[in-house]
Amino acid sequence: MIGLPAHFSRRSLTRRQILQTSAAIASGMVLSGCGWTLAEVRPALSKGNKDDLSIYTWESYIDPQLTETFHTQTGINITADIYDSNETMLATFQTGKGAIYSVIYPSDYKVAEMIEKKLLSQLDHSRISGLENLLPEFQNSVYDPGNQHSVPISWGTTGLIYNTDALNPGPEDWQDLWQMQQPLNRKMTLLADVREVMGATLKSLGHSYNSTNPTEIKQAYEKLVQLKPAVTTFTTDAWRDRLLAGDLLLSMAYSADAVRLIQENPDAKLRYVIPRSGTSLWSDTMVIPTTSPNPDAAYAWINFMMQPSVAADVTQRLFFATPNQAAYDQLPAPLRNNRSLFPSDEVIKACERIIPLDAKVTELYDQYWTKLTSG
Amino acid sequence: MTNPSHPIANQPDSQVKPTWLQPLLMLAPAGVWLALLLVVPTLLIFELSLVPGIRPGQVVNPSGLDNYLRIVQPDYFPVLGRSLFFSIGTTLACLILGFPVAYWIALKVPHRWQNLVLLGFVLPLWTSSLLRSYAWITILRPTGVLNTILSKIGIPPLDILNRESAVLIGMTYSMLPYMVLILYAALEKLDRQLLEAASDLGATPPQAFWKVTVPQSLTGIAAGSLLVFITSMGDFVNPEILGGASSMTVARLIYNQFLGATQNWGFGSALSMVLILVVSIAIALLLKYGDRSAAGGV
Amino acid sequence: MPEKPVAKPAFSFPWLAVVSVLLFGFMYLPILVLAFYSFNDSRYSTGWKGFTWKWYVAFLNDSRILTALANSLIVAFFAVGIAAVIGTLMAVGLSRYRFPGKRVYQGVAYLPLIIPDIAIAVATLVFLAAVAIPASGGLIQLSLGTIISAHVVFCLSYIAIVVSTRLTNLNPHLEEAALDLGATPSQALVQVLLPELTPAIISGCLLAFVLSLDDFLIASFTAGGGSSTLPMEIFSRIRTGVKPDINALSVILILSTGFLFALAEYLRYRGEQKRLGN
Repeated sequence: MIGLPAHFSRRSLTRRQILQTSAAIASGMVLSGCGWTLAEVRPALSKGNKDDLSIYTWESYIDPQLTETFHTQTGINITADIYDSNETMLATFQTGKGAIYSVIYPSDYKVAEMIEKKLLSQLDHSRISGLENLLPEFQNSVYDPGNQHSVPISWGTTGLIYNTDALNPGPEDWQDLWQMQQPLNRKMTLLADVREVMGATLKSLGHSYNSTNPTEIKQAYEKLVQLKPAVTTFTTDAWRDRLLAGDLLLSMAYSADAVRLIQENPDAKLRYVIPRSGTSLWSDTMVIPTTSPNPDAAYAWINFMMQPSVAADVTQRLFFATPNQAAYDQLPAPLRNNRSLFPSDEVIKACERIIPLDAKVTELYDQYWTKLTSG
Repeated sequence: MTNPSHPIANQPDSQVKPTWLQPLLMLAPAGVWLALLLVVPTLLIFELSLVPGIRPGQVVNPSGLDNYLRIVQPDYFPVLGRSLFFSIGTTLACLILGFPVAYWIALKVPHRWQNLVLLGFVLPLWTSSLLRSYAWITILRPTGVLNTILSKIGIPPLDILNRESAVLIGMTYSMLPYMVLILYAALEKLDRQLLEAASDLGATPPQAFWKVTVPQSLTGIAAGSLLVFITSMGDFVNPEILGGASSMTVARLIYNQFLGATQNWGFGSALSMVLILVVSIAIALLLKYGDRSAAGGV
Repeated sequence: MPEKPVAKPAFSFPWLAVVSVLLFGFMYLPILVLAFYSFNDSRYSTGWKGFTWKWYVAFLNDSRILTALANSLIVAFFAVGIAAVIGTLMAVGLSRYRFPGKRVYQGVAYLPLIIPDIAIAVATLVFLAAVAIPASGGLIQLSLGTIISAHVVFCLSYIAIVVSTRLTNLNPHLEEAALDLGATPSQALVQVLLPELTPAIISGCLLAFVLSLDDFLIASFTAGGGSSTLPMEIFSRIRTGVKPDINALSVILILSTGFLFALAEYLRYRGEQKRLGN
C-alpha cells in the first residue's frame, strides 16, 4: 500500500491517549509568574555580510532592473521582501522577523509611530547627499521634521480606478460608491488597510480622514456595513489582473499602482480619479531601523535612490511620484503633467495626511475593522 | 535480507550499561524537542490568551477571560459559526462524493488495479495546495474557465468566486482524497459474503447498502469525517484565497491577530485555544460514538 | 449518499463508475487548467491566444522563486533528516520500554497530527518571540533554522507513526534471537532491527518531506525576513497578483512530484518482487 491509509487509520488508535494527554495538560496548567515583556525586536548578534542588503518594501517600489543597476554600481546584493499594508509591516517587523532588514519603506504616519517606539535610527545627514533636492514640504514634514529619521521616496493619493466602459459617468467622489452600489455590486474592491478605508468613509460623511471622535468612527463603520455586501474583497494588490480581465469594475487604489496599470495597459479603458471631497495624501519613506545589520549598505541604497537620474528613471518605469525636484525636472512633459500622478495644488489642498492616533483610538479603529471584516 | 549469523559475533566483553541509559538515549531527543517546541509553546499561548489586547513589546499580565468572552460576542460569533459551517459542509460533501469513489475502487475495480487507481486519485494531493487553490480562482472567476464554458452552452454565468460556495468547493477539493483513502481502507475489508447473503435473503440493494455496507464501514466513515472536519477547521489557505469580504474564519482571524493588520496576540491565542478545544470535542464525540458502534456491532 | 438504483442487480450500475470518473475529472481539472494557461500567450485572457514557452523562461529567470524553492528544499531536507533519526528512535523506544508518564509522552508525540497547523504555528511563534529569542540574547533569530526546528515537530510525528505501524507487525523474536546469540542491544538495533524498519522509515520520510514542502502556515509564522519558502512566495504572489510563470512553476512541480512518486512506487514494487522471489 502507499502508506497513507495505514497511517491515517492508525490515527484513530491513539486518540484515546491523546484525549487523556490533553486532559493531563489542561489540569496540569499552572499560571507561571507574570510580568514579562512580550517579544521585543532584538538585533541579530552576527552582523550581516557587508555585500548583502535586505529591504522590506511595497510591491511597486522595486524591480529587478533597479536592483541590478544598484549591484553593478556598488557590488551589493539586494533581497527584497514585500508587504501590503503598514500594519502588516510593523506586525511582521515586531514579531522578530525584522532583524534582517536594513531599509524599510513605512508611510508617513507609521514613521511617526516607529520613531515613537524607538525603532528607527537617527540618520547621519553627512552620509546622504541630495536632501536639498527634495521639495520643501518634504524637507520639513509633520511626521518627521527635518528628515531626522526618514527620507521620502514617493508620494501620492488614494483614489478610485475604474472601467470607463462599464461605468459612464464614473464616480467622482467617495459618496458615489454608495450611490452606485447597484452597478458595482460584487464588482469592486477596497484596500486592505484600516486607516484608508475608514478614512475614506469618514471623508464621505464630511468628517476628517483622521477622526478621533468615537461617534464619527462608529458612524463610518455603520456606513461601511451597508457597502460591504457589494465589496468583493479587501485587497491592496490583487485587483490589477481582475480589473483588466473585466471581473472587477472598480477598485480603491493608491495612485502609484493605478497610474502604473493605466500606463502599462494603454488599451484598457481605465481611469484613475481622486475623490472630489478629498482623500489621503501619503508619502512613503526609506528608514534605517536601529536593528539594521548593515547600515553602510543602507546609506548606499538611500544615496542611490536619491540620485536625480535614478529617481527620474524609476518614476518613468514604475510610475510613482517623486518628491525629488531635480528628478521631477528631468521627467518628460507628459508625465510631469499627469494630473493623476502629480495633482494640482488645488486638489492637494482638499487632501489630508493620515496622522498617527493614540493607542486608544487605534484600538477602536482596529475593533471596528475586525468587526467589519468578520461579519 | 537480514543475516542473523554474521552481525552477532560474540562480544562478551561489552560492558553492562545501566538499564536507563538506552531508553533515555532513544526517547530524550524527541522528548526534549517536543517539550520545547510543542508543549511549552502551547502552555505559553494559554497564558497569553488570558491577557487582553497584548502586542509585542508590552508586559504580560494575565488578568482573566476577557479574550474568551470577546469570542462569544455577537461580533465574532459569526466567525466561529462560519468555520463550523465550512467544516461540516466540507465533511458532508466529502462523504457524499467520496463514498461512491471509494466503493467503486474497493468493490468494482479488479484487485490488481486497485492500488494504481487509488494512487491516481490521490496524486493531486502531492502537489502544492496553494497552487491548487489558485487554480480554482482561474476556474471560478466571473470571466474564468467555468463561465466561458457555461456561456458557450447558453447558461447564464455563475458568480461563485469570493463567496462561501467557492471556499466550500476549494476545501472539498483539498480534503476529498483523504476521505477516499480512509473509506477505501474500510470498504476494502468489507465482508462480501455478507452482501451476497443479504441479496440471497431477498434484500433490495438499498436495504443491503444501509443494513450491511454502511454499518460495516462505520469506523471508516467516522475516522474520515473526523479527519476532514479537523483539517477544515484549521484551514487557512482556501478561505483566504477563494473567500471574499465575508468569509472570515477562525484560522484567518488568528492569522490576522499575529501577521495581519490588527495585532492582538492575546485574542489570537484565545482563538487558537478555542480551535484546539473544538477539535478535542470532535475527537471526544468520535470516541464516544465509536465506542457505542463497537459495542452494538452488527 | 449513493442514490438508490431503480432496478435490481446489486450496485453493478454504471453510475458508480460514472460518478467516479467524474470525480477523477474534478481532481485533475485544476491541474489541467494550470497546465493549459502555462502555455497560453496572454496574461489575462481566458481564451487561447497561442502557444508560448515564455512563462517557463520567465520562471527560470525568476531569482525570487528559485531562492524560495532552494529554501524549501533545504528546510524539508534537514527537517526530515533530523525527524527521521529522533522519530525512529522514539518509535522504537516507545514500543520497547515501559516507564512512568509513557501515556503522556505518547499522546504528546502524536499531538501534531491532530492540532490544527495554525495553532501550532501561533504557539511556535509566541515561544520563539517571547522565550527563545530573548533568552538567547538575539543569538537565535527567525530564520531557516527556526522553520526547520518547527517542521521537525510534525515530521517527527508522521515518521514515528509510520514506523510504529511497521514495528507492531514485526517479528519480536528476531531481536531476542540476536540478543540471545550475544549481540549487544545497540548491535541488535542497528544490524537487525534497522534493516527491517528501513522501508517504513523511507515511506515516513517521503510523506514528511512532501508535507514540509507544502507547509505554508508554520513556515510563515516561523520564517525570518529574507527566508521565504516556496509556499510563502507563492502565497505572496497570489495576494499581489500573479503572472502566468506561477502556472509554469506548478506544472514543473507537479511533474517532478509525480515523477518522484512514481519512482518511489517503482522501487518499492521492485523490492517486493525481489522479496517474493527469494
